[in-house]
Amino acid sequence: MRMALADRLTAFVFVALGMAMSIGGWQMDRLEIRKIHPASIPGLVPIVLGGLLIICAVLLLRSTFKSDEDGDALIMSGGSWARLAITGALCIFYALGLVGWLSYFWATAVFTFAFCMIFSFPVDGDLRQKGIATLGALALGVGIALGSSYLFQELFLVRLP
Amino acid sequence: MSGLASLGAGLVLLFTPTMLFHAAWATLLGIIVGSLPGLTATMGVALMTTLTYSLDSTAAILVLICMYVGAIYGGSRSAILLNIPGTPASAATSLDGYPLAKAGRAGAAMGIATAGSALGTLAGIVMLVMIAPPLAEVALNFGSFEFFWLAVFGVLISGQLTADTTPIKGYIAGILGLMVAMVGSEGIHAHVRFSMGLQDLNAGIALIPAMVGAFGFAEVLTAMWNKAGVLAVTKDKSDRTIPDLMDVWRHKVTIIRSGIIGTLVGIIPGVGEDIGAWGSYSAARRASKEPDQFGKGSIEGLIAAETGNSAVVPGSLIPAITLAVPGSASSAVLIAALFIHGIRPGPLIMIEQPHFVGLISAMLIIATVFMAIYGLSLTKAFIQVLRVPYAYLMPVVFVLCVIGTYALSQRLFDVWVMVAFGIIGFVLRQMKYPMAPLVLGIILGDLLDKSLRRGLTLTDGDILPFFTRPISAGFVAVILLSLLLNIKAFRNIAGAPMRWMKARFNA
Repeated sequence: MRMALADRLTAFVFVALGMAMSIGGWQMDRLEIRKIHPASIPGLVPIVLGGLLIICAVLLLRSTFKSDEDGDALIMSGGSWARLAITGALCIFYALGLVGWLSYFWATAVFTFAFCMIFSFPVDGDLRQKGIATLGALALGVGIALGSSYLFQELFLVRLP
Repeated sequence: MSGLASLGAGLVLLFTPTMLFHAAWATLLGIIVGSLPGLTATMGVALMTTLTYSLDSTAAILVLICMYVGAIYGGSRSAILLNIPGTPASAATSLDGYPLAKAGRAGAAMGIATAGSALGTLAGIVMLVMIAPPLAEVALNFGSFEFFWLAVFGVLISGQLTADTTPIKGYIAGILGLMVAMVGSEGIHAHVRFSMGLQDLNAGIALIPAMVGAFGFAEVLTAMWNKAGVLAVTKDKSDRTIPDLMDVWRHKVTIIRSGIIGTLVGIIPGVGEDIGAWGSYSAARRASKEPDQFGKGSIEGLIAAETGNSAVVPGSLIPAITLAVPGSASSAVLIAALFIHGIRPGPLIMIEQPHFVGLISAMLIIATVFMAIYGLSLTKAFIQVLRVPYAYLMPVVFVLCVIGTYALSQRLFDVWVMVAFGIIGFVLRQMKYPMAPLVLGIILGDLLDKSLRRGLTLTDGDILPFFTRPISAGFVAVILLSLLLNIKAFRNIAGAPMRWMKARFNA
């Protein structure tokens, strides 16, 4: 996707966000019951910020119609989508799923082992290379899980999830 | 207490085996973090904040300062050897460092970078000791009106100077940061805003989980997305890491100039080390007798970039300590860490803790000494660090992001915040939105909000004092000027007298 198109789409998102912020600020409790000064209502700054975001979004939208090098540049190009998707999925699954569901030690060991295996396993290698990669991933998984559990639980006195 | 005396007292306090041990490992870790592309100084400081909160305040701050100094310097390793800046601060370093490495002079390049970084940090420390106390004194006269404009100025200038493409993206990032700061209980009437019924949001979005997400998780994603660099391992037989002192002496003017530029850039809120390096680099090229050598392995260019980015570190601490306004993203995390450890940065710091500037300066000196020792002695070890595959490194980083964030308040909600900010941070970065104004917005949002409403209450709703008080008027003038400079027609009109003078001079 070209930057100009991406900016155009995000400009609409920012207009919507700015409107939501301003409306939210406008509808916010004015605390009349507590007889506060009308100039100190909690919604004042959100109203202003929402308005400013709308103005900036409109300016951003306007700038996308000028043809220049920045606008023609491709975004999210030059990297690996597969690596990004797998990394994102693994990390999110670990942070939002495994932690809190499994004990911290097992969640961390499984995540680290899986991450290492997926990104470093020599699919075309011989049996020895595959064995070394698996053992390395296993050692790192257990080592990190054990080390971070000890550090936080025993030294920092954190009740682990 | 004079600046020098408090610096001496700080050094005495830190010269214990425990403190030196903390400084030694933290600086080394900082250099390793900084040298790995994808891991930045801000991420290192944010992660280290979560790992040091059980230490006593002096040791914890020493560790964070050493991590910061080490990481900014460490970025030069991969910039020179891989042509990939370890941190954005080292982008200018790679322009001349990598050609030198390709020519077989990687050792010399790293030696010069070490000398430049050490001298840059020392130049910044001198200015920190000189500027911070009087600045704190001036800031004692600040009221709600001035603090409101200071917050606006910080977010605006940061947005303007850090944006890669158009300043509008910088402004938007700043406004988004301010919006994040609006979530949760506000500081005047304790009214809960935008919590969407979630009790966890009543206290707002904490800075550390947001920063760990935006700089930790986002960087894990970025590192795995990007292709790995190629190590420049060619070695000339005459190459050595110990810098030639004559080389350093020959560029003394460049070092002094870059140190001053870096420190001044550091003082500007939320601008950061990369701008310091680029500013110093372009100033050195303009003043150089051999400008054509810049980008082709110029020692002068390399020394300017490294001195410039390192001088930003102490420079960024000047507003952070005296005004609680961070000069860079990393110093924003440092401010949060100071609060965690019971130290309240701001104008009152010189009254409540008059020795604090001296103590911080002493920490910077110790970090610089360790940085120089490691930089000159562990070159080969750092090359090995760059060979660690991301498949092994990134899960460790992410585990620390998760458990470090959780450990702060021991609630999983903070981990969700971290993940959300990581994804948002990654997308915004890909779309060339700078992160520094976002961070500055989060940290200054509360100050801006409270100062505006408190000021309006004091004046019974009259906005005139916001524009007529002398310091406020100064801020307004600078803000207006920087906004107007975005308009081409204004730039032409404003530049006309300069062009006229130049023409007369040339004639």
